[in-house]
Amino acid sequence: MIASLAWKNVWRNKKRSLIIIFATALGLWGSLLAGAIWMGWGESMVNTAIARDLSHIQIHRKGYFQNKEVENYIPNGFNILGELSRIPGIKAVSGRTLVEGMAASPTSTFGVKIVGIVPSQAKKVTDIYNRLTAGNYFAGGGRNPIVIGKKLADRLGLKLHSKIVLSFQGFGSSLNYAAFRIIGIYKTDSSIFDQSNVFVRQSDLFRILGHTPVIHEIAIRVQSSQIMPQVYNIVQEKYTHLDVQTWEEIAPEVAFTSAAMESFTYIFIGIILFALLFGITNTMLMAVMERVRELGVLIAVGMTKGKVFTMILLETIILSITGGVAGIVIGGLTISYFSRTGIDLSALASSMETFGTSTSLRPFLPLDMYIALPVMIIITAIFSAVLPAWKAINIQPSAAIRTY
Amino acid sequence: MPLIELHSLSKVYDDTAFPVHAVKKINLQIEKGEFTAIVGPSGSGKTTLLNLIGGLDKPTEGSVSIEGVDISTLKSSELTNFRLHHIGFVFQAYNLIPVFTARENVEFIMLLQNVSKAEREKRAIELLEAVGLGDRINSRPSQLSGGQQQRVAVARALASRPNFVLADEPTANLDSSAAESLLDMMAQLNKDYEMTFVFSTHDPRVIQRARRVVILQDGAVISDA
Repeated sequence: MIASLAWKNVWRNKKRSLIIIFATALGLWGSLLAGAIWMGWGESMVNTAIARDLSHIQIHRKGYFQNKEVENYIPNGFNILGELSRIPGIKAVSGRTLVEGMAASPTSTFGVKIVGIVPSQAKKVTDIYNRLTAGNYFAGGGRNPIVIGKKLADRLGLKLHSKIVLSFQGFGSSLNYAAFRIIGIYKTDSSIFDQSNVFVRQSDLFRILGHTPVIHEIAIRVQSSQIMPQVYNIVQEKYTHLDVQTWEEIAPEVAFTSAAMESFTYIFIGIILFALLFGITNTMLMAVMERVRELGVLIAVGMTKGKVFTMILLETIILSITGGVAGIVIGGLTISYFSRTGIDLSALASSMETFGTSTSLRPFLPLDMYIALPVMIIITAIFSAVLPAWKAINIQPSAAIRTY
Repeated sequence: MPLIELHSLSKVYDDTAFPVHAVKKINLQIEKGEFTAIVGPSGSGKTTLLNLIGGLDKPTEGSVSIEGVDISTLKSSELTNFRLHHIGFVFQAYNLIPVFTARENVEFIMLLQNVSKAEREKRAIELLEAVGLGDRINSRPSQLSGGQQQRVAVARALASRPNFVLADEPTANLDSSAAESLLDMMAQLNKDYEMTFVFSTHDPRVIQRARRVVILQDGAVISDA
């Protein structure tokens, strides 16, 4: 009956209650949507980076990142490649031969990473083949085909079918030069990646290097990100003599940004709820001050301070939860809508490319946030109720009864 | 043992520059079944005396004993519990909970006493029928006349099965007919159930019906007959 009284008390002044409910709902809707956009942005950065080049797990020879010379290849790399493809949970593997070098056109030069791939393998691990703006992804034959990024093409003033000369250090400190024909130009969400990565066939690279085939990097895609830790453990235990790293270890800045977005969302929602706390407290204070006589009567006839406190607390929770649930539902529906359609940020494309994120943002919020939010709202309500409830339990019934 | 016993009871309001002696050394005994009116002009100390008897205020000196329990020594929480189980209150302005129906208003006090739901409903309906509102149990206070609201207030006061009912100017806001009707009802309850009523009033109609009249002036009893 105290809960029933609390509920009825909330709706005594409908206009005032609806205003604070609306404010709570609006505040939560806005903060949820903002949070979902941030988290969608972070998720986009991660997914884009994994699909573009990181993959889920990478294997290198120990010390490769300190010394990227061509001699630092993975011993028995091709055997390992075969073994990995038989481990459960691994979706695809791709061996990459990596050489640091210079790309030159008749007008300019630029430092690049030359990635030797087997196109059929690489297509299962990265989505570069899907990002072509011109040409094809090693579809035809021909001598020394190359796929380069649009940013690099623009820098070097090159077009599809233009020639590009790559120079790079080979085995035994030999210097190698080779001319390649551009058969494809790709464009990802990262302009930095596009200007510094070129893709050639492994067989062409080995021929130029004059060396038996070797690989420097093995990229692994797992069947789902949920099983990545298990697969990582298996691979790490099997190849203790190699560097086995997750994408989070290889690109900690991407992992940090993604994790930071979740923290920012909680902080932002916390700030909104903190601001709402004052509004709710004010509303409840007004509600208590309007009912001084009635509360005095309740205390006079025998309602304990504990029950008065509980009643005011329940009123505050009802008020907050009603607004909070409305905000969560509307926010959830808005996020669900934009997660399907995406938010078009192509007007900001150049800025987005710098961060390596897609121009079509798909906001999302993890389920645990939808669970945490009502808890945060109830905590806010409890804090909001303290002052009004304190006022209520300290009413002197003898004086309050004669208040008009 | 008297139901209510006041011993050398005084109340001084000294929170202003000039202390106000609202009640001065009152000695009074009220037996079970009495129908007593405390009368006097405005400012004579009627309401203060009623608040002291009802445990809504603490005396500056002296004691208030209800059935031998000195309530002036009880802690705040004990006093609240004592009021809930031993004293019924009727106020001048009815003071019903506006969002509750008549039945809910009567039931609420029993809820505070942890009476079972079935018993609450049964007793609330019986009491509302006893005060002549059997057909208005689901009406809210705003749908009832002043007289009817005061009848609900009497039913509420009786719902906790108190030892006595304190009524502070219960007829002040009622017209003649409603006041007479209310007084008839309370007199009947006094007769049928030997319920003790203590009124503060300056309404001649109440004074006329009271079997004992205590007259206050400047906080002191000047007549008790």
